[in-house]
Amino acid sequence: MAGTRSQSGKLALAVPLAVRGQPTLVMQRLRETWRGVPIFSLLMLTGSILCALFAPLLAPYDPIKTSPAKALVAPSLSQHLLGTDHLGRDMLSRLIYGARISVTVGFLAVFVAGALGVLIAVVSGVYKGWVDRLLMRVTDAFLALPYLMIAVTVISILKPSMMNVILVIGLLRWMDYARVLRGEVLRLIEMDFVRLAIVAGCTRRRIIMRHIFPNMVNTLLVLTSLGVGAGVIAEAGLSFLGLGVPRPLPSWGTMLAESQKYLYTAWWLPLIPGLAISLLVMSSNLMGDWLRDRLDPTRRQL
Amino acid sequence: MKLYIAKRLCEGGATIWIVTLVVFALLRITGNPIDFLAPPDMPWTDRAYLREAYGLDKPLWQQYVLFNKSIITGDFGKSLRGTQGAALDVLLERVPATLQLTVAALLFSIVAGIGAGVVSAARPDSIYDRIGKVIAIAGQSMPVFWVGLLLILVFTVHLGWLPSAGGVDRLGLQGLIMPSISLGWLLVASHMRMVRSSVLDVLDSDYIKMARVKGLPWHLVLWKHALKNAAIPVLTLFAVNFAHLVSGAVITETIFAWPGIGRLLVESILARDYAVVQTVVFFAAMVIVVVNILVDLMYAWLDPRIRVAG
Repeated sequence: MAGTRSQSGKLALAVPLAVRGQPTLVMQRLRETWRGVPIFSLLMLTGSILCALFAPLLAPYDPIKTSPAKALVAPSLSQHLLGTDHLGRDMLSRLIYGARISVTVGFLAVFVAGALGVLIAVVSGVYKGWVDRLLMRVTDAFLALPYLMIAVTVISILKPSMMNVILVIGLLRWMDYARVLRGEVLRLIEMDFVRLAIVAGCTRRRIIMRHIFPNMVNTLLVLTSLGVGAGVIAEAGLSFLGLGVPRPLPSWGTMLAESQKYLYTAWWLPLIPGLAISLLVMSSNLMGDWLRDRLDPTRRQL
Repeated sequence: MKLYIAKRLCEGGATIWIVTLVVFALLRITGNPIDFLAPPDMPWTDRAYLREAYGLDKPLWQQYVLFNKSIITGDFGKSLRGTQGAALDVLLERVPATLQLTVAALLFSIVAGIGAGVVSAARPDSIYDRIGKVIAIAGQSMPVFWVGLLLILVFTVHLGWLPSAGGVDRLGLQGLIMPSISLGWLLVASHMRMVRSSVLDVLDSDYIKMARVKGLPWHLVLWKHALKNAAIPVLTLFAVNFAHLVSGAVITETIFAWPGIGRLLVESILARDYAVVQTVVFFAAMVIVVVNILVDLMYAWLDPRIRVAG
């Protein structure tokens, strides 16, 4: 009897509090959720995504149309904010359009890598035994691959295209996901709620989908956020070598590659796209760090 | 220890085998090397000839057997480019340059990374630590090729101090500075972070307090006692980092016109020299695996706990 009374007492207290303070509570929750978020990263990431989505609206000039008369104009406030390249194309417009490729490849490659990593982690962690050993050996072998060399080779055989770049980066960068998430699966599978689910007669499929996967999402999110940066760098590297998304579409890596010949005459050509790549990568890394601290305070030292 | 070595070697062998399988699969199944080799207007008969010459007309398993045979005998076929001869010789000629570059980059990253890491850990949250943190974040975000271009922009174009293209043979040690910094740049950050956190851990331990209590100067405690134990985890990073280094060499060598295997790969791809491409990729993968095994063994030698647990 005493128990119910105290329970109802708590309830009676809790309800008015929640009703009275609802707007502030929401605000508090919101503030709590976003506490310490790296503002710059958030702006940079959303900015890049917006540039990618609305490139035609945002770009002041046509990024592909050449005008040799205006080649290598230095950045100025009057006409070309970030100058023009060796063919007279506006750098700002090319930068904005370039965000399309970097963002698309960065995110989709991470999606491919993450999906493959999750699959391998779950199979490895759930089936254990020789399946696990085999998959972990394969993971080690992939980690030992000189991935950029392989990427360059495979893409040159397959012919450069956005799809190929995404697939190749994704298929060569899944190992971190597999290794970290496998540990997670092994940890989860020993936990009481999974055992209870097994006892309750859940199917393996249900246990994986309803009990294990939702608990992996935090870690996956952190890895994904860190992975976007790696994806962007990989794409830029491939483009730099002339094996990324084919020209004349502007990619930040291609822009850097083209700038190589004009180092003596036009300092803004190598500076601007490189800065864009670095800032985007840095934002995704910092975002990942923040997510890691936010979602799992025990692993701050990692 | 012997048991551990034997076990590790077996595992290494398995990894090598999987690597060969993966390289084979990537080179054969994902694409059609003939299209890669042949110019688009090549007649059908010539394509058939090429297919036969590379054994690509045989069933896949026979191709795999051939591939393994070429690994064992070291005969990866002839380079297409004129009189250069066997693909393996073409490769071996380029290995020293890459070796110089990667070793220099590694040294740079270890010295800079460990130095910065220890200094940051010695006074957490000091100005040094903050600067170190900024460098680490920047280091992880700046792509190798951009670092290289910036270095050229500053030191070659504006200051005129360092040459930007060539190799050690042509430029001497001076030519090694920028390429190794740009290649090692990425690892500085990762070494630094690792050393910082492990030195911080070690500084908390009893034997460091003991050393302090018995009156050892702080710099000796830090650089000798603490660093010695804190440096071990850096080795664990090495396995993954070495692969990054070899991969990064492709781009660094392209920027600095460095006559190593990375540039050879890019040149061969442009020249459609399939035999050399295959040899370079396979060779690089092998080197990484072998280095990883050696590092593991060294690690076990340094830290006896691993032998027992492993």
